[in-house]
Amino acid sequence: MHEIDVHDLSDDADYAASVQQGSASMYRSNSSKQGSSGEQEGAEIVYVKDNVAIHPTQYASERISGRLKLIKQGGSLFMTWIPYKGQSSSARLSEKDKSLYTIRAIPISDVRSIRRHTPTLGWQYVIVVLSSGLAFPPLYFYNGGVREFIATIKQHAYLVRTPTMNSFQVFKVAELQVYQLRIRSRSADDANVFLVNDFQDPLQRTLSSLELPRAVSVTNSPSSAAAPSESPSSWTDGETFDRNSALAQQNARQRQKHNDPARDLSIQVLEKFSLVTRFARETTSQLFGEAQGDGFITNDRRKHDGKTHDYPRIAESNDAQKLPEDVPVPADPLEFDKLSLVWGKPRQPPLGTEEWSAFLDSEGRVTDSEAVRKRMFYGGVEPDLRKEVWRFLLGYHSYDSTYAEREYLMSVKKSEYETIKNQWKSISKEQAKRFTKFRERRGLIEKDVVRTDRSISFYEEDDSPNIKCLRDILLTYSFYNFDLGYCQGMSDLLSPILFVMGDESETFWCFVALMERLGPNFNRDQNGMHSQLFALSKLVELLDIPLHNYFEQKDCLNYFFCFRWVLIQFKRQAVFIYLYLVSCREFEFEQTMRLWEVLWTHYGSEHLHLYVCVAILKRHRSKIIGEGMDFDTLLKFINELSGHIDLEAILRDAEALCICAGENGESCIPPGTPPSLPVDDTSMYYQQDDDDVL
Amino acid sequence: MPSRRRTLLKVIILGDSGVGKTSLMNQYVNKKFSNQYKATIGADFLTKEVQFEDRLFTLQIWDTAGQERFQSLGVAFYRGADCCVLVYDVNSMKSFENLNNWREEFLIQVFLLYLPLIVYPDLTYRLLLKMIKLVVWYLHLTLFFLVEQLLCNLRMNFLQASPSDPENFPFVVLGNKVDVDGGNSRVVSEKKARAWCASKGNIPYFETSAKEGTNVEEAFQCIAKNALKSGEEEEIYLPDTIDVAASSQQRTGGCEC
Repeated sequence: MHEIDVHDLSDDADYAASVQQGSASMYRSNSSKQGSSGEQEGAEIVYVKDNVAIHPTQYASERISGRLKLIKQGGSLFMTWIPYKGQSSSARLSEKDKSLYTIRAIPISDVRSIRRHTPTLGWQYVIVVLSSGLAFPPLYFYNGGVREFIATIKQHAYLVRTPTMNSFQVFKVAELQVYQLRIRSRSADDANVFLVNDFQDPLQRTLSSLELPRAVSVTNSPSSAAAPSESPSSWTDGETFDRNSALAQQNARQRQKHNDPARDLSIQVLEKFSLVTRFARETTSQLFGEAQGDGFITNDRRKHDGKTHDYPRIAESNDAQKLPEDVPVPADPLEFDKLSLVWGKPRQPPLGTEEWSAFLDSEGRVTDSEAVRKRMFYGGVEPDLRKEVWRFLLGYHSYDSTYAEREYLMSVKKSEYETIKNQWKSISKEQAKRFTKFRERRGLIEKDVVRTDRSISFYEEDDSPNIKCLRDILLTYSFYNFDLGYCQGMSDLLSPILFVMGDESETFWCFVALMERLGPNFNRDQNGMHSQLFALSKLVELLDIPLHNYFEQKDCLNYFFCFRWVLIQFKRQAVFIYLYLVSCREFEFEQTMRLWEVLWTHYGSEHLHLYVCVAILKRHRSKIIGEGMDFDTLLKFINELSGHIDLEAILRDAEALCICAGENGESCIPPGTPPSLPVDDTSMYYQQDDDDVL
Repeated sequence: MPSRRRTLLKVIILGDSGVGKTSLMNQYVNKKFSNQYKATIGADFLTKEVQFEDRLFTLQIWDTAGQERFQSLGVAFYRGADCCVLVYDVNSMKSFENLNNWREEFLIQVFLLYLPLIVYPDLTYRLLLKMIKLVVWYLHLTLFFLVEQLLCNLRMNFLQASPSDPENFPFVVLGNKVDVDGGNSRVVSEKKARAWCASKGNIPYFETSAKEGTNVEEAFQCIAKNALKSGEEEEIYLPDTIDVAASSQQRTGGCEC
């Protein structure tokens, strides 16, 4: 938890300020409108309610309690909801969650409607929907006081009460949220809806809300909240993209520093907006259609100028992604093609030697490993440089080691390798005769190395020393990690490493480092694979519910058709081949290495490979669904998938999906899922009965 | 769709790693042999149209990974099999000895639900252990997948796994690589192999060379015929009512056309 405290310092500071200032908690006033009325004086609390909670998950026990306030300032009414500090009903809810959900000084004039629910069982709650169509998660009043809350707002703003039936369409957002929270007693709800806002210029509003730039510009305000050091006033729509990504990276770096797998706050918020944007557009237009038809009287004459609104963070973690489930299903809930345009950063040329040496200090330490990894994430490494850099990527060398230390390590490891190698080298023929396990293991390895990447010139010749080298390394590894032994697929992982490293001992130790992460792929019980395929199914469910439903319908949820992708990290997959290239095989090999080094940076997510799976599946979703592929056809299709897809494009898609899924994506992935380092070493390779010798 | 389905015959090729499963399949379907096959990861299949007595069938031949460690995947691929081809390398005694394991493993996975219901003649202690292992694996699965998923799997096995008696499930055994070294490196004699096949209910046996194409066509003719027979037999054993219930679940392997 300590890391998170450090990480969220800015928010804590905000919180501290709010505690000190009490009523005058107007700490965010970066829009022109609010900026003018930003004086701290003259603020008056007109309503305070403690123990108002939100339920970020479907479990009522996992709630975040806070204080709801209505503050009157300069003639306007603002609503805030600040979670209590340090008190958490569940370990799973971090401070980060809390600050994510915090509602900061939202002017009531920006509120479209407030929906009151008084279910017969359970707590009363309200759902606040903004003019933009965005909605806050339901606020549960544990100590009552909803009526009072509404009454207070009534005193300061014009409220229209609507019968529920009329506003069914309008308040779809609220309905969905109710649905998502699995409150089944919807019919028992006594829902009252209060409309707050105006429709002075509905056409203009609708138009402006339809424009993507505006939608994006909305997203930058919450991020400015996450990083108060940035000067919000300098932000314009034009530079939103760069700013956002810069911010995202900066925060991502922070995150990595703390080795915190959870997504960063600002990214989280950005993603939410990206998802909500489309929905907001739809809802908004619906709203206006309905409202005009009903002839609502409006009072607020504030003209919408299309500028960025200073919305507080709209935060609901589970709800946004699931919205498409109930909306008339769009072809692709994420507007995939556009998504990568918005979120995926342009790829860069590979990291070159000169640039690399700039990252090293005089003694050879990598001063900013985060920056290096980021650089490689976006561009990979030039082939000549791989030999040096892969050692770091794979974790064989640590970034803060010096030239001398690495030199020393190499010599130590070399002799250590020889020692292990001698363990099997010294097994005599006579001994081997009585050592079935060894013979079988050796036989299996020998069978596989002669059919590993033989189309690459490096391994082409029948008596190639490199093939023998593969064999020696794999056999040595099976002694180094006797429990895991040898499993098919390992030779596929090893061969590019040997191709890059050249040296046998160095290759071995790099392979060892790789297997620290990927070893569970080869476990006897296949649990590593199962957990990855399970995570993949969850990710598809999150990111493309129609596709998930399709797989469910076709009984394909085991995702065995992605088995090969995951087991050997997309090797042998012709997806990345350009057809016009003459030397396809060599190119495929090269592309595999490029993909691997990007995956190995573990920048952004340790499980980017799963997002790559999702990205490829999404690329072909129309074909898969359109042709009604069943399990067999799908497996065939994926095994033979080849074509015109550019690796860089897929990586960009995967990055976009990863950012988009954010924390929810990470929570789809069970802890310890490869290539995460194992949670518990001892349980990794459970030895089982006699007949599983290999 | 159903009419196309009904003419599909599913064949699974099993056997130790490197005995030539992929090569046999490729030789039969594509009439090609390559020295550069890769170890099969996961599973793959090829299809070929075959003709029998004026009827056209699609033979779907499944090639699986040879390493025992990938067995837990099997159930996903074995489902709905009409015939199982067991392959060994005549130059490797171990691969021959393992045939028994492959056969049992296949039967267990396919007949998981049948086993308690029928009297299985050579139910050994080791087999029991394996069954327990499998059940544990299934339980383990429920942690990851939903219980419904599991039940669905089991039901599918029950309904689709073809005939009601494992002893009569059609196997075909192929002794591959007879061409190697002019037969001088051979360690499993034809007699020995035939004896084993006879002991397991007269399993048809062929000696093949995927490299030279020897006997491959004949072997697969027999495989297709057995698969077809299996489908026809099943029609007798599976009443129509079950067929209807299973109609949403792809097919029953039956063939009435």
